Amino acid sequence: MNIFESFKIALTSLASNKLRSLLTMLGIIIGVGAVIALQSIGEGVVATSLKRLQAQGTNLITISPAAQNAGGIILQSSNNNLTLEDSQAMDDTSRITKALGEAPEYQSGGQLVYNSKNTFGQAVGTTEKYPDVHDLTLASGDWFTDVDVTQSKQVVVVGAQVAKDLFDQDDPINKVVRLNRVNFTVVGVLNARGGTGFGSIDSQIYVPVTTAQKRLFGQRQQGVTGTGKPVSRIVLKANNADEVDKLISEVTDLLRERHKISGGQQDDFQVVNQQDLLQTARDQAATYTIFLLVIASISLFVGGIGIMNIMLVTVTERTREIGIRKAIGAKPGDILIQFMIESISICLLGGLIGVVLGVVSSLIVNATVPTLPTVLNPSTIVIAVGFAVAVGLFFGIYPARRASRLNPIDALRYD
Amino acid sequence: MIRVEDVTKTYWMGDVEVQALAGLSFTVEDGEMVAIMGPSGSGKSTLMNILGVLDQPSTGSYQIDDEEVADMGEAQMAEIRNRKIGFVFQSFNLLPRLSALANVELPMLYSGMFSRAEREERAAAALASVGLGDRVHHKPKELSGGQQQRVAIARSLVNDPSIILADEPTGALDSHSTKEILAIFQQLNVEQGITIIFVTHEQDVADHCRRIVRIRDGRLESDLPVLNQHWKYQPLPLVENNQEKSLVRP
Repeated sequence: MNIFESFKIALTSLASNKLRSLLTMLGIIIGVGAVIALQSIGEGVVATSLKRLQAQGTNLITISPAAQNAGGIILQSSNNNLTLEDSQAMDDTSRITKALGEAPEYQSGGQLVYNSKNTFGQAVGTTEKYPDVHDLTLASGDWFTDVDVTQSKQVVVVGAQVAKDLFDQDDPINKVVRLNRVNFTVVGVLNARGGTGFGSIDSQIYVPVTTAQKRLFGQRQQGVTGTGKPVSRIVLKANNADEVDKLISEVTDLLRERHKISGGQQDDFQVVNQQDLLQTARDQAATYTIFLLVIASISLFVGGIGIMNIMLVTVTERTREIGIRKAIGAKPGDILIQFMIESISICLLGGLIGVVLGVVSSLIVNATVPTLPTVLNPSTIVIAVGFAVAVGLFFGIYPARRASRLNPIDALRYD
Repeated sequence: MIRVEDVTKTYWMGDVEVQALAGLSFTVEDGEMVAIMGPSGSGKSTLMNILGVLDQPSTGSYQIDDEEVADMGEAQMAEIRNRKIGFVFQSFNLLPRLSALANVELPMLYSGMFSRAEREERAAAALASVGLGDRVHHKPKELSGGQQQRVAIARSLVNDPSIILADEPTGALDSHSTKEILAIFQQLNVEQGITIIFVTHEQDVADHCRRIVRIRDGRLESDLPVLNQHWKYQPLPLVENNQEKSLVRP
């Protein structure tokens, strides 16, 4: 008896009880559909964050206060021991030879108000070098100057998204906005950079770092020297990708010296380069994938138990049919294959319906939620369907064996 | 040829050992038409199961065409059932979801000897030979009892068996259908020389055969030719031969 005939028999018997077949498949449909939809969303999120990290430039290194490790949990340090003076010291080209430029950042959030509109803006206090380091260009106006920085002018450059949210069609230049109740004059608008979510270049605003320190956030932390003005982090851009490592060691040496950290003592700052962040993002993606696979396995396992249950009922219900088939010459192996193929067909069909469902919901999310671009991965689809078939195989064995071992005499007598 | 030699069958019903067959011997030559009769509890069904290779004797020997069934494995038994034996049951035992044609094709599906086209052709021919050429696509429940039994006969024929084993084949039929079905069996016996074994408790039905084997309490009670035959089918030369054959038995 060939496989084609077996599939025909299996599909005929599934078609003869459509509602039950559908309900049986439901576990597999939901399992496979969920995996594909979630995986596409997860991959989309990861792809977006990778894109954002790459958009910021891959030759960047970021220095921030050292994280504290408390019982294995990494906490952001609360001591602002990086200062504006540290940042300025890095302009010394005799010490820092591998950098194209450096820009400090002093960050905080604030309520941004223009006329009746307001938005929550991530405010970055920085210097005139920031656009060079981050390769930013302006759509209109100019970035604030070194004079603006030294004189702590109340000027602001806004990201493209912020400009759109607050000013819509109006020209933002020379408009006055209020940030934490302080008036700022808009001097420039950045070109859109792409990438969404928190920390995106487009949804931030930029003010002179000195203004931020004096007028905005009022931090009095003084740094190691007791006289410094704190910054959240300092970003440097290396000459090229190959010199990132050298730049890191130059910066580390300089900062250890300035912070008076000797030999065996731990750094009170940490240096992260963009490559590391990319790697971290990729690692997170891998973790996310494993997590999904575990969930998928559980749902497919539960679906599989449902299938085994229904197959056992089916075998009992069709005892007489099995008896007839055996009487006219079906071997135990023929019966085994018939029922195995039936359970595999349920899973395959359920898997395919699940694929359609998963792909459609992924496309719907893609079309309706702009912040969640989804990425459909063909290998995920293949693996999900393959897994579904494996479930059918595994959970079909026991009922099929039971069917194949029925005694034809008892089976024929069964009502 | 079927040879039953000193066959016993015992099985357990709970704690009680039941001896269904207690040393039974007889032979059925090719081309015979034999009725096996006996009251309920006589071991008739057990004998039927053994003759149909659905079961094996506890002791003794059972041979079909000189092949010993007692030594066979399950797959081998299935093969014998498929190739050598055609079953016809009281309750027809057709698969309700399949058309008449598909039901008749089933034994060929398991024998794997024919292509799809050949199977359809042979199944259609078998249905035509029992007078159902115009009902091939009907499902069993769309057919009358007599018609369903004819489908079952077509199914039993389709692999060219040497024996057709019919278990109360007219038990669920009205008298008109009974006559039709009995005529078909006689025709098959005479025209194609197929050995036919009826298990029945109706004397009238048994009288359509040429020999009656009676069993009681698991033993042979009598084995006699039918004297007052209801022999409806009469193309004579062949009948002559067959009658001689059936009279050979003691």
